[in-house]
Amino acid sequence: MRQTYGKTLPGMRLENLTGKLIVIEGTDGAGRTTQINLIKPWLEELGHAVLDTGITRSRLAGDGIRRAKEGNNLGHVTQSLFYATDFIDRLENDIIPALRAGFIVLTDRYIYSLMARAIVRGMDASWIRSIYNVALKPDAVFYLRIGVDQLLPRVVFSGGFDYWESGMDLFQGHDMYDSFCSYQTILLKEFDHLAEEYKFEIVDASANAEDVCNHLKKKILAILKPDETQPAVSNPQAYLIETLMQKAVVNLLAKRNGQAQLSESNIDLPPFIPYSTEGNGKNAH
Amino acid sequence: MVYADASFWNAQSEKMDMTSCIQPDSFDSFRIPNTSASVHQNGKHGLPGRLFIVEGIDGSGKSTQLSLLHKWLESKGYGVVFSEWNSSTLVKDTTKLGKKKKLLTPATFSAIHATDFADRTERSILPLLKAGAVVLCDRYAYTAFARDVARGMDCEWVRALYGFAVKPTVAFYFRVPLETAIGRLTGARDGFKYYEAGLDLGLSTDAEESFRLFQGRIINEYEKMIPEFGLTVIDATMPVEAQQAQVRQIVKTHLEDAKKLRTKQ
Repeated sequence: MRQTYGKTLPGMRLENLTGKLIVIEGTDGAGRTTQINLIKPWLEELGHAVLDTGITRSRLAGDGIRRAKEGNNLGHVTQSLFYATDFIDRLENDIIPALRAGFIVLTDRYIYSLMARAIVRGMDASWIRSIYNVALKPDAVFYLRIGVDQLLPRVVFSGGFDYWESGMDLFQGHDMYDSFCSYQTILLKEFDHLAEEYKFEIVDASANAEDVCNHLKKKILAILKPDETQPAVSNPQAYLIETLMQKAVVNLLAKRNGQAQLSESNIDLPPFIPYSTEGNGKNAH
Repeated sequence: MVYADASFWNAQSEKMDMTSCIQPDSFDSFRIPNTSASVHQNGKHGLPGRLFIVEGIDGSGKSTQLSLLHKWLESKGYGVVFSEWNSSTLVKDTTKLGKKKKLLTPATFSAIHATDFADRTERSILPLLKAGAVVLCDRYAYTAFARDVARGMDCEWVRALYGFAVKPTVAFYFRVPLETAIGRLTGARDGFKYYEAGLDLGLSTDAEESFRLFQGRIINEYEKMIPEFGLTVIDATMPVEAQQAQVRQIVKTHLEDAKKLRTKQ
């Protein structure tokens, strides 16, 4: 069963979220959007249904955040919570329903970017984590990593510096270039911390887009392929209880509908591999 | 002497009721950057202003009491500023959209109200307290604790969400039986609003019945918070004048050394 980072929201059911949640993370200009635009059609060609989502795309808070960012009076706590509202709206209304329907959810940034942005703006790290502990743990986080010096030419060729991407709300009085360098440097440092803590797959984003994409495709295929090397059951006791309960429910429904009930033999149980206390069994971990 | 404390939780956590749902070590409180510095500079571990807030269910009469307190404090020469729940100009449109289109779930309802509160804290409450104002709030973080938990949100999660809030000098809770409140509301307004009546929870399709059930849950949450946060209980069934006299009496004890910004010095 899928897990969150600690808490669940009312009405949030974690069972049967059969899709895959794939996160593309990285600082501004690392090429996340380019990669998603390449990977989404590729996945669809392979026959997978794909939902792509990203920051400020919620129906509830997207416009509100954009309006708030136009002004000059968005405080750092307010900003952090506005983004959290946007995230939760997408989590409940887009991400979870898509996973339940078996989609591959491709998300351009996830809670990590939101946490990094809040932390570099002076928000308490444990406070921001306690808010995002309702997020689902993804199947993979690909962190497109690029140094600030390699980032600069990309910014120049993509139309120049952006107020928020330069962290001008943080470094007021600097010019955009200085601010951009300072901001992206501390952001990168924070990302590197998070990469370690949350075990990101680090992808060198300074390579050309095609190479990055091929690398990502290979990694994604490995996630989509059912893992044959690992036994399907990692906790036999829990599995057995769950199976028996499922069987009981199926039987109850069958009885109510006047249908034949399951017998012991027609329920599919995977091979039961007991835990080895010696640590030499193949299921011991 | 009690000053408005820049940290909502730290001061309270020692005398916290351990039977409540929070464990002190789960507090994720923090001070908004640049706040702690000024707090220590004035050497009293508190902001120079005062923060008085009122809580209670709809129809408890808290707003009437706050407005009477407001007039009295102004007449005494204090610089008084009033801030109302759910009133941030930056966030209001989003909340309105969510309510109108019924987009809000318990979680987003909680998050958007915290965003609104954050904007008011950063933009007005905190700077005004630093300037020595007497700040009056009609509803505070406790409203969120009561409503959001009544909607099924995790108690610890909601409290952590408001970890940035400034701890009030005094938090008044106007306690009133549900039936009295409903009696005051019927006739005074035309029907119950969707989220106010908790109709999003599907407790009942009848608005009044849903309101009754939902507000009942909210009262339970308020009752739990009295020991947890040291809320000052006012019996809201008393005559208006008697309640106000009590409120003023309590407020008065916290005004020593407070700045009279209106008085020419």
